[in-house]
Amino acid sequence: MQNFAALVDLERKTVSPRVFVDEAVYRAEQTNIFTRCWLYVAHETQLLKPNDFLTTFMGEEPVVVVRDEDNQIRVFINSCRHRGSRVCRVDHGNTRLFVCPYHGWSYDSKGALRGVPQLDSAYHNELERADWGLIEVPRVEIFRGLVFANFDREAITLDEYLGDFRWYLDLVLNRSKNGMTCMPGVHRWQLGGNWKLAAEQFLGDNYHASALHRSMLMIGLGPTDGDFRGNSPWEKDFEVKCANGHGWINFDVPSPPMPPVQAAFFAQVREEAKHTLSPEQQKLVNMVQVGTVFPNFSIISFLGFTSVRVWHPAGTHKMNAWAYGLVEKDAPPEVAEIVRKTQVLTFSPSGIYEQDDGVVWQSAVDSMGGVVRRNYPLNYQQGAGHGRTMANKPGLIHPPSTEIGVFGFYEFWREVMTREPA
Amino acid sequence: MSALSPLSLLRLEFEELLIEEAWLLDTDQLETWLEQFTDDIHYWAPVRQNVGRGTEDIHQPHLLTHMDDDKLGLTLRVKRLRTGAAHAEEPPSRQRHFVSNVKILDAEDPNRIHVASNLLVFRSREGLEEHLFVAGRRDWWRREQGRWRLAERLIMLEHDMTRNITVFF
Repeated sequence: MQNFAALVDLERKTVSPRVFVDEAVYRAEQTNIFTRCWLYVAHETQLLKPNDFLTTFMGEEPVVVVRDEDNQIRVFINSCRHRGSRVCRVDHGNTRLFVCPYHGWSYDSKGALRGVPQLDSAYHNELERADWGLIEVPRVEIFRGLVFANFDREAITLDEYLGDFRWYLDLVLNRSKNGMTCMPGVHRWQLGGNWKLAAEQFLGDNYHASALHRSMLMIGLGPTDGDFRGNSPWEKDFEVKCANGHGWINFDVPSPPMPPVQAAFFAQVREEAKHTLSPEQQKLVNMVQVGTVFPNFSIISFLGFTSVRVWHPAGTHKMNAWAYGLVEKDAPPEVAEIVRKTQVLTFSPSGIYEQDDGVVWQSAVDSMGGVVRRNYPLNYQQGAGHGRTMANKPGLIHPPSTEIGVFGFYEFWREVMTREPA
Repeated sequence: MSALSPLSLLRLEFEELLIEEAWLLDTDQLETWLEQFTDDIHYWAPVRQNVGRGTEDIHQPHLLTHMDDDKLGLTLRVKRLRTGAAHAEEPPSRQRHFVSNVKILDAEDPNRIHVASNLLVFRSREGLEEHLFVAGRRDWWRREQGRWRLAERLIMLEHDMTRNITVFF
């Protein structure tokens, strides 16, 4: 058994490359991280009617997320109990029964095994169907429309797990009276790079923007004053380390003006926020906001668009990014189109920001995995010891740039990886 | 000698046009490539969905797209590639565009032609990755001031999961 604790040096603030490139670490994460933590599976608005379903992954486990006939959202491993084939082979839809194509076992929206071909002649009516329902993920909880699931029956509640981070998620998810809806379709793309590199960057790496995304400044699409750090340190431009490995980036850089129809709509949203958010939160509506819920859920919101995404692990050197677009339920169709297209142009497989991220994540795992390089740790010392707690917002705060939050991700990773099995 | 039908001649004309376009992309003449678009170009690549037979709807309102550009968007993409700091294409990838299966879908209006084609794009990058993009395209070409300009291109990427898209289709 490898000593996972030694891979994250809490005193020196360093992380071993093995955390990213070591096959044994990756395998252990599948159990220690992905069966113990809350994982994002769906937005509530993707499952509006009874028997609506969608398919996704929790870690490497394929799952079906279903709204059952009694309106409860349930999550099942997408694998027949008889020979293991997928029982649901499409991305989404509505069905009363999931029928395995292999031998025809069928399951209802509560996961119960219903139909078994030749139950009488082949099984002599001796099959105990109640024992052979789909494997259900025991915990499913929702925060502001975000549906999370957890394989750990004993896990703390989602509310406890998110803790103070809910204050920040609310800046986007609760800024309007009627909340958000998920637009149809999923951006799915495979990126080189370990899943944690994406999670940590969204969590609290504002530092990379001025180097990696310099092209955006050069074509006039970055912050109009040319600085990704903003002008209001601590108050509007800051990064946050929250408990349980979550983190948030908030900045108020000057952006290109919105088209009038969109500007009018977001003026309305800011009015609504006066009723849904606290006075301190209201000051932070409609800024550039980026964050990660440990382990692999991220959110990015600016220029009116909001993308949520999951960095599905796909080996030490690969991740499958699945990104969705959220927009206010009350947004007029033309505003929804503007924010959708803004998301596609900036943060998507072809996004003129996001294109560049995938390339450096890939080259990181390709370059630090050698038998020599992997012995030299990575530096996460930036800003260590200089964070502050503040009266007007939760978490540990530091203006951009800092790696306090990012290192917090690995502190929590270390804790979960070394936690004794229940 | 059997003369080619008017439809075959038209098909040849567009095949040549599409081959010329692929040449511009392969030889990095992106500024010239931009000139082929009408001012109201809609260049879009909807995400694909695994759903029941015959039920996929790429025209669903607000469906996410892999690309969804007007002329400004395409121009910005090209400008960015020219900054020297677009790291996904620095050093530049090697690309080849292969066009085939050119078919005229609608030529009822002689100034507005609907053309289908298949496209393969090979990309090799930085010793890290080789990738093949496979797409079907549905174009609307419009005659403007005596030349064909592209007014709409629907790109149907056939991948379940794509890669980061730094190429044009």
